[in-house]
Amino acid sequence: MASAPFKAQLTDLLNSMFAMDFLDEQFKELQMLEEASGPGFLTEVVTLFCGDAERIISQLDALLNEPAVDFGKVDANVHQLKGSSSSVGAKRVALVCIKFRNVCQENDKEGCIAALHEIRHEFDELRKKFQTMLQLEQQIQDLDSK
Amino acid sequence: MASSQVVKVLVVDDDVLTRRIYRTLLLRFGFEITEAEDGKSAVNKFIDGNEYDLVLMDKDMPRMDGVEATRALRGMGISAKVVAITGDENSRGAFLDAGADEFLLKPLNITALTDILKAFNFLN
Repeated sequence: MASAPFKAQLTDLLNSMFAMDFLDEQFKELQMLEEASGPGFLTEVVTLFCGDAERIISQLDALLNEPAVDFGKVDANVHQLKGSSSSVGAKRVALVCIKFRNVCQENDKEGCIAALHEIRHEFDELRKKFQTMLQLEQQIQDLDSK
Repeated sequence: MASSQVVKVLVVDDDVLTRRIYRTLLLRFGFEITEAEDGKSAVNKFIDGNEYDLVLMDKDMPRMDGVEATRALRGMGISAKVVAITGDENSRGAFLDAGADEFLLKPLNITALTDILKAFNFLN
């Protein structure tokens, strides 16, 4: 079958994402939901998450650039990002969010800025892998439907 | 149960992604899903005369949080099952005191929710 090599690539990609803690068991739950409900669910969830995360990270950047940082708003945004990253199984992003909330609760601006850089790094790495995953899934779907 | 045989669920969460995941899960069971983006919207749906068998309630939401919304629903005499689903593990007592029937921590564990739905006789 023409899609076999792409399926192998996808399996390898996902295995490495789990092994490196980019993803956790929650993502497997979403995979099971897609199996039951049909293709497109994971694509939608991943796309929603990436859009959400990008928006929140931009918001955090703006908040931390204010002369007087509103740590309450920063914390609320990080809480939201932690929630959505946990919902999709984005383990490394969620873990950095926990660190971020700890420094935020201490009103530590420099600590918050450092945590934001770390979140940006983790999210960028994850997003690249999600983009590859979605491209492979699309290629598989296109080949299997022929 | 609400008047029809189909289980009617109100999903209350300010996060679009979370609502999407719950919707996909619950549609698998053949449930009818309505969404509300905060506690006040949820309460208003009941005030408007809608009936639901089950409410999945987040805690931290704008305008009215989940604990307050649960308390408001019970104060109105609403008997729908309320399952609190939140990342705030310290809110269990507040939710149960407000009248929630069950409490689950986020991220949602599908097996845990399914067990609760079976205990409520919403699933065979």
